[in-house]
Amino acid sequence: MSIRPILRLWLFAGAVLLSTVFAGAAAQAAPVPKAIRIGTLYADSGPFATSSQSQLQGLQFWVNDVNREGGVYVKAYRRKIPVKLITYNDRSSTTTAATLYNQLITQDHVHILAADFGSVLTSVAVPIAQEHKMLLFDQTGTGANFFTPDNPYIVLTSLPTSAEWPYALADFLKAQTQIRRVALLYATNDFTGSQAQTLRRRLQGSHVKLVFDHGVPTSTSSYALLLHNVQAARPDAVIEFGYPNNDIAFLHDLQASGMKFRMVFTIFPGQLFALMKSSVGVQTLAYTYTYPTPPLLVYNKVNYGMGLDRFKEAFRKANGKNPNFLNIAGFNTGLIIQKTLDMAPSLDQLALRRSIVDFSGKLHTLNGTFKIDTATGAQIGETLPVGQFIPGSRGLAVRMLYPPDLATGKPVYPAP
Amino acid sequence: MPRGGWYSVGVVLLFALLPFVYGNHALLFNMMMYLVLAQGINVLFGFTGYLPFGYVGFFGAGAYGASLAILLVHLPPVPALFVGAAVSVLVALLLAPLLRLSGAYFAIASLAASEVVYYIVSNPHLVSLTQGPYGISLAQVYNSGASYATMVVVLAMALAVVVYLRNSHMGLALQAIREEPISAGFAGINVVRERIRAWLLSAALAGLAGGTYAWHVSVFYPKSVFDLNISVFAIVFTLFGGVATLVGPIMGTLLLYGLYNWIGISQPEYFQLVFGIVIVLLVLFLPNGLVSLLRRVKIHVP
Repeated sequence: MSIRPILRLWLFAGAVLLSTVFAGAAAQAAPVPKAIRIGTLYADSGPFATSSQSQLQGLQFWVNDVNREGGVYVKAYRRKIPVKLITYNDRSSTTTAATLYNQLITQDHVHILAADFGSVLTSVAVPIAQEHKMLLFDQTGTGANFFTPDNPYIVLTSLPTSAEWPYALADFLKAQTQIRRVALLYATNDFTGSQAQTLRRRLQGSHVKLVFDHGVPTSTSSYALLLHNVQAARPDAVIEFGYPNNDIAFLHDLQASGMKFRMVFTIFPGQLFALMKSSVGVQTLAYTYTYPTPPLLVYNKVNYGMGLDRFKEAFRKANGKNPNFLNIAGFNTGLIIQKTLDMAPSLDQLALRRSIVDFSGKLHTLNGTFKIDTATGAQIGETLPVGQFIPGSRGLAVRMLYPPDLATGKPVYPAP
Repeated sequence: MPRGGWYSVGVVLLFALLPFVYGNHALLFNMMMYLVLAQGINVLFGFTGYLPFGYVGFFGAGAYGASLAILLVHLPPVPALFVGAAVSVLVALLLAPLLRLSGAYFAIASLAASEVVYYIVSNPHLVSLTQGPYGISLAQVYNSGASYATMVVVLAMALAVVVYLRNSHMGLALQAIREEPISAGFAGINVVRERIRAWLLSAALAGLAGGTYAWHVSVFYPKSVFDLNISVFAIVFTLFGGVATLVGPIMGTLLLYGLYNWIGISQPEYFQLVFGIVIVLLVLFLPNGLVSLLRRVKIHVP
């Protein structure tokens, strides 16, 4: 055996050892920041203001919570460091948001970048984060366009991509033998249009037929005429996909028309229950179906952060009101950031992403199982089940119907 | 060098060099975009008296025209921008009969027209052509540096157009039409033709800005590029500086958009208050814009 290959091997091993030692020394030499700077945007006016502020309130609650304990543990520095939340107001404008995301990255030099609420205000952040090689913690921007295998700088934290929302709903409809004719009414935007596409695709080839399939502008505020057209199609179930303003207008007009359908599904009563209840009333919501999300939906298997009951109590104490889903979504983003910093060996943005991939599927928070598509960063763990509002002596309660592992009862069908 | 030429060169150089000393390139890009749009409004309102509230319709048409040229015809971004401008000009040609209206009627009709264009583009039945309401992704051609450089060139073009109008027979003819169309007609000016030329020129500038914006942001929804606020901002910046001049819209955009961002970043809680006070003071004391202040102290304004 020649001695040369052995010598080369030893030289190589020595070089690796030396570089590791130097790298470690360099890491130790890097100054510890006084605070972990987390940058995000919110809107105090415009169409996204209500949702955006709720989401920010949840993230702010998490910041206050970890700072009370001395900060967040950062593995890269092997110590707890306080968190500083830097926020700017984009007033629901994408042009302003683009400027402010840049401000957070280039002027404030944030360690962590989190997006504002929803797909529209997140859309401008996606290329900016990618260009600056910053990992974007996308909280509720569910546009499928954002997630591609060639962009490792994005992770969806608190909702699945909108095209995946109706998976359980489609399976639920297929599992009901009495439901054969479905009417689909949806607002024509990325969020609800992609849900309509998924529902159509997943019902194809089943015994369930779409007897009415109609898109309306997102600005639609009167559904009276459309409801007559829906009724003429004699559906067994009516599915309405819209933003809160669409759902409110639809349910209002349904109540006013006196029409009765055997099953009515809308999205936002399950997310913004208090708002929907005050807008359309308990009677209108009774026996309708929705995607229940926390706090209506309780995940018992929580292995990271507060459970739902503790969160509700602490949030109420801090903010003087009950939390809604978007408060939980913001708080959940904080938990994902916390776990990421706890796991990542450095604050290099790709190292953050790798550590997220490592704990993906193993983290169970009050928002469900955090699991991402490791190729694209899209959320695939926090699925949306189907539930029904059942009136009782203490107001409306949500009965979980589908998937079977979450079910707490059978549907009341047809609705009385 | 024609009058105003050096100012234009200075502004273009400023935006070409600023990225080397200031990191928030999106702010600089947006400022250039509003400079182009403000000059486009200036061409139309300043020189003909037509105030187009629906100006954003041309911006959105340009954004979509350029994007679809990239996605469907696989054109490189720069030639696609000219397709975007051509689409805006085409839309402007179709809407040219609006010029028969005037004053508030024209302003409202142009706003309605831009909404029509928006609803056509975002119609879900046109998904195969425009992607309907689901938005556009140009991730495959995303290049913030090249799109920034292109916006510098578009800005140079917009300023050149206004310099030309300030120094040409066409500009004088347009101003004559604005002041007294009947007399201008008697003087041998083809009123309809000149108005339509200004209308198309203004639309082309908005189309170029829209296309470049689409390339720069690369992911957007119809609502983002047909947002009425874009029109409102461009109009306010133009009026703030002073119309029918080269310098007015530049001053208006630099000061007001600079203030908008400065307050928005440093003192967001005072944003509405400060911005509101500035605009009220302007309307009360400087209805002809900041340039009127300069003229009062005998400073020549190109």
